[in-house]
Amino acid sequence: MLATGSYNIFVLVKQVPDQGSKAGINPDGTIDRAKAKRMLNPFDRYALQAALFTKRTYGGTVTAISMGPPPATEVLLEALEHGVDLGYLLCDRRLAASDTLATAYALYKTILYVGKPDVIFCGLQTTDGDTAQVGPQLAERLNLPQITYCEDFAIVNGKVEAQRIIEGGTQKVVTDLPVLVTVANSYHALEYKSFRGAWRVQQLKRNPEEMSKYIRTVDLDVIGADAERCGLKGSPTIVAATEKVGEIGGNCCMFEGNSPEVLISDLLAAANVKEYIAALEAK
Amino acid sequence: MSDEAVTNFCPKGDVLVIAEVAAGELQPVTLELLGAGRILSDKMERSLLCLVLGHNLGDIPQKLIEYGADVVYVADHPELYQYRTLTYRRAVCDFLESLPEPPHTTLLGSTTTGRDLAPRIAAHFDTGLTADCTELDIGPYEHKSKVDPSKVGLYPNCLYAIRPSFGESLKARILGPWKNPQMATARPGVMIPLKLDPNRVGKIVNVPVNLQPEDYRLVVADTVREISKGFKLTEADVIIAGGFGLGSADGFELLKKLADCFPNSAIGASRKVVDLGWIPYQHQVGQTGKTVRPKLYIACGISGAIQHRVGMSKSGMIIAINKDPDAPIFKFANYGIVGDVYQIIPEMIKEFGAVIKKEEGEPVGRAR
Repeated sequence: MLATGSYNIFVLVKQVPDQGSKAGINPDGTIDRAKAKRMLNPFDRYALQAALFTKRTYGGTVTAISMGPPPATEVLLEALEHGVDLGYLLCDRRLAASDTLATAYALYKTILYVGKPDVIFCGLQTTDGDTAQVGPQLAERLNLPQITYCEDFAIVNGKVEAQRIIEGGTQKVVTDLPVLVTVANSYHALEYKSFRGAWRVQQLKRNPEEMSKYIRTVDLDVIGADAERCGLKGSPTIVAATEKVGEIGGNCCMFEGNSPEVLISDLLAAANVKEYIAALEAK
Repeated sequence: MSDEAVTNFCPKGDVLVIAEVAAGELQPVTLELLGAGRILSDKMERSLLCLVLGHNLGDIPQKLIEYGADVVYVADHPELYQYRTLTYRRAVCDFLESLPEPPHTTLLGSTTTGRDLAPRIAAHFDTGLTADCTELDIGPYEHKSKVDPSKVGLYPNCLYAIRPSFGESLKARILGPWKNPQMATARPGVMIPLKLDPNRVGKIVNVPVNLQPEDYRLVVADTVREISKGFKLTEADVIIAGGFGLGSADGFELLKKLADCFPNSAIGASRKVVDLGWIPYQHQVGQTGKTVRPKLYIACGISGAIQHRVGMSKSGMIIAINKDPDAPIFKFANYGIVGDVYQIIPEMIKEFGAVIKKEEGEPVGRAR
């Protein structure tokens, strides 16, 4: 049975610095986020695909939610171009320096404000934090079951059937809605932007009033969040210090400027690679 | 939080390791965490506790003592045989609440299980959690920022949770001394286990498990472990790893040919190519992938960003091939070849393939 329910699908997206770009990288190794190139967190592309696939297959609406400074509107517009119906941006200066716990709290309050989701898709993790913590922390706040490292998701007879990655294998799980899912990058890649979505965003860009209906910006007061639990104040952890990672080695034996044959024979002459490999074999 | 509380805050306390048992077997990361936890608890002159969850655990609790735990708490329940978020969450939270004082530090492995469970526990207790640490320590910290006056003060015994920081050649020291337990997950393969000591004495305590109906909301229908197909990336002697410099997914076909020259070899990959979908996530080496320590690591077209480096820098021998002579990987590889992987690797296959005389009929395993 292919139930065409009217599922209320939420997808969480984040704007992150583009790690492929050198823009905004300070000489001391830190990142100037204002100058860095911005992009949609790559893992969120899989979450977006899962959300749109769920909508297309089972029916419903997709609401994208993001937290960040005003430019984060860009990733919500991108989500709209892909076919998301509505976007919410939680934007408030008091959120600055939030750690994962404070972020999860703020998103939790946003979700309560926006509505009652049947399923919440998140990327497995972000490329700027790499923690994979916000999804499960949010599920804890919402008292939902969670499916992390999800690489396959279906709704069969009203129940969720999913596959997730575990150490050295995979696992099939079954649960009821509502559920929070973090999507791994082994899920299907995000499809191209839809013509309709792209066209719609073009229309919205020309009409700010219409735009504010589809990209709704909210702050802590609107969603009724306790500012004490957000930002630096609400974060139980801080980055106390950063240190440059010492250069290890620095005595790399280099081979260059020759034909591949010569390079490899030089390598074999210099290193005991052959003996090393032979020793492996003998083991 | 009153001012008085702050000056006395971050008291010393026990260190708790939450063990990981999968399919009835104790996972190596737990022994590594006990090794790291022992150092932390010794620094505070407190006990090292270990909570193990499962069913019919046999000699596992005893083994945890022999690897460094002072007290092993056993949560035995048929429904805990297999890991599930909500049942484990319940058992761990109930256990922590039953202690007379919260542990100072709580450590989990940053495996798919630890990364699934730890954030739920941290959120339940509203406490700090640092993911994927590469170093752990105990030390002092003075908080001077007046943004939140209630946090200002000198904290003598903080958990230093150290991890590489994004896109930067920096390590970040993350602290959260305002509330115990201070939580962290550590990558498998990074911390060093203690030597097994059969004479070590400790206490084994059974703890009650009271699961609730809502903890069964998710059912595991099937678990497939691929261990039988060969071996894991983390156990390979030789890893041939590919990065963005390969130019396309097809490059991995060439790497597989090179891997076939070696016994017990596996294919690794940098994060960028995994993000691009050239190769599945299971092959990813580095901060958000696997930490590996093969005897030989051949990095092909990998620039060597810090996130990759933390996952493989402890390899026995590192040979790097890259077009860019300034690639960071040449700063820590043992041998570097500046050139095109598509020209160098076929030559390597010719030379190395000749060295290794494979016994007839013996299949060459490769983690896929």
